[in-house]
Amino acid sequence: MIDQLRQRARELLTTGEAACIIGYADASVPGKATPIVITRAEDADRLVFHAACCNNLAAYLTRPEIRKLGTVAMVAKPADVRAAFVLMQENQVRPDDVKFIAVDVTPAGECTLLAQRTREELLDYLVKNVPPAELADDALKDVAALEEQKDGERWHYWQQQFSRCIRCYACRQVCPLCYCSRCVADKNRPQWIETSAHGRGNLAWNITRAFHLAGRCVGCGECERACPAGIPLMKLNRKLAKDVRDSFGGHAAGYAFSGEQLFAGYSPSDPNDFFE
Amino acid sequence: MRVVAPVSRTAFTEFAEIVALDEADFSQVNTRSSIKQFLFPATEPILSYSLEQSNVKLECEEPPEPRKTVIIGSRPCDAASLPILDKLFSWDCEDRFYLNRRSATVVISIACTDCDDCCFCTAIGLGPDSKQGSDLLLVPGESGCYNAEPCTERGAELVKQHEKLFTQSAAPASVCKAVLEKLPKPLNLDRIANWLRGHFYDDFWQAASLKCVGCGCCTFLCPTCHCFDITDEHGRYRDGRRAGLRRKNWDSCQFAQFTLHASGHNPRPDRASRWRQRMMHKFLYYPERFGSRLCTGCGRCVRSCPVQMDIRDQLKAIESAQADDDQHLQA
Repeated sequence: MIDQLRQRARELLTTGEAACIIGYADASVPGKATPIVITRAEDADRLVFHAACCNNLAAYLTRPEIRKLGTVAMVAKPADVRAAFVLMQENQVRPDDVKFIAVDVTPAGECTLLAQRTREELLDYLVKNVPPAELADDALKDVAALEEQKDGERWHYWQQQFSRCIRCYACRQVCPLCYCSRCVADKNRPQWIETSAHGRGNLAWNITRAFHLAGRCVGCGECERACPAGIPLMKLNRKLAKDVRDSFGGHAAGYAFSGEQLFAGYSPSDPNDFFE
Repeated sequence: MRVVAPVSRTAFTEFAEIVALDEADFSQVNTRSSIKQFLFPATEPILSYSLEQSNVKLECEEPPEPRKTVIIGSRPCDAASLPILDKLFSWDCEDRFYLNRRSATVVISIACTDCDDCCFCTAIGLGPDSKQGSDLLLVPGESGCYNAEPCTERGAELVKQHEKLFTQSAAPASVCKAVLEKLPKPLNLDRIANWLRGHFYDDFWQAASLKCVGCGCCTFLCPTCHCFDITDEHGRYRDGRRAGLRRKNWDSCQFAQFTLHASGHNPRPDRASRWRQRMMHKFLYYPERFGSRLCTGCGRCVRSCPVQMDIRDQLKAIESAQADDDQHLQA
């Protein structure tokens, strides 16, 4: 599988279809993988793909240094393809500027290179074969447990979790959908979210981010993995994904690369029945 | 008075206050975050104020009396950050917030008998039984006991005050040879500083920082990183007067806004210049000014980086680049 992946990368670079490949290489720490950008076909041998390749590489598509390089071919797991699709839908990335080297890991742990290459083929593949992992029954068990708690308990739980937040913004920086050049948390004229790592500021930050991702989060889980404080961010993201699914006709992010966005569009005929 | 020690209550081992020794977990290689938080917390109020018409009334300008703290179970790499921070926080201005806490803190470190894939204290001139910054160093012995080595007057005083808890040791304990074999060889820090001095403008920085996502994990978990932001939190009311709090918060040179000027100009406008700053500060600027590297090789930056940036790889590359240069000069 890895030989085929490298061969595809070489082809894309040699034919000029892609100016660079964003993929994974083995990190210096054994067992870990690290993102890598290669621009020369001879470097394709550095590419790897295995279960430790967890980064969502779509996060690099909106980086100015990467955009400057030209057309990108990214090694993409299903969640990463979804993320790239959301970026296309939100007009952050031109669809033709991104090619995919789509990969997946089977439940048995086998790494496969997908035959699908174009975004149309991949969209079809995702819709038919890859339901949103963040909405799987298993994945929603802990959300259900939280939903069953009384309001006071839940608030206390999240206050405790967020008390460990040190405002490193790793969650934001690894997220492909957090691409604002000036994040709301960084604005200070006026300031919307206190920057201090105290209860109030942390609650405001984490809840705001979760809301900004509602309907857009593709459930890759990188935020939670990157968090140095071990905050279970995905519980909140899964809860919002569930609410979006239940309230907006089964919507899940990343199953379209064009067309209307869920929250960013407005029509006078939008339902208003929640206004009493 | 409080005693803080590593505890493993959540997925990570972290320092927390303990009331009984069995709450502590000394078996882990290190804690997720460093002891820095007890001397330089992530956020702290530095003064409060209230407004009476247009008059500002300052309150609480003096830092509050810090709690006496005994840190037990810090690793030598964490302890070694304290002399580094001491110099910084008493350099051009005496930071009483840090210094008051520092004098109220006693550090009892435990030497390492194991390391992980990310530790590199030996690469930058320290070791698993380094004494720097500790008041008392406990070195694990063969029989499950610790050999207590006072490193400062305060440490010696502590032992004297609690004489009954200690017995005279026949032979000094030595750290397991096993861990020394796993740890990396020393880097030539002078050579690295020389390369940095001559390569402020170099393509190296763009390539080295391309995968960095610009979060603050490395800087916030680093025991020696000390940059902070001052922010005012206004909008409260006290006794009918508008009031607020001025706070000192951890800041990171990796954040985009770190050097953003009021004019809108940013001298470090991209990832590459900010990554360069990190390397320069730690291995050139700080050593030039204060005589030691701004790093203790604890490996937290490597362990916590979401994209596996590895400062060791970069230091090795820089060291060998300079070695090549030096060779050419000699030839």
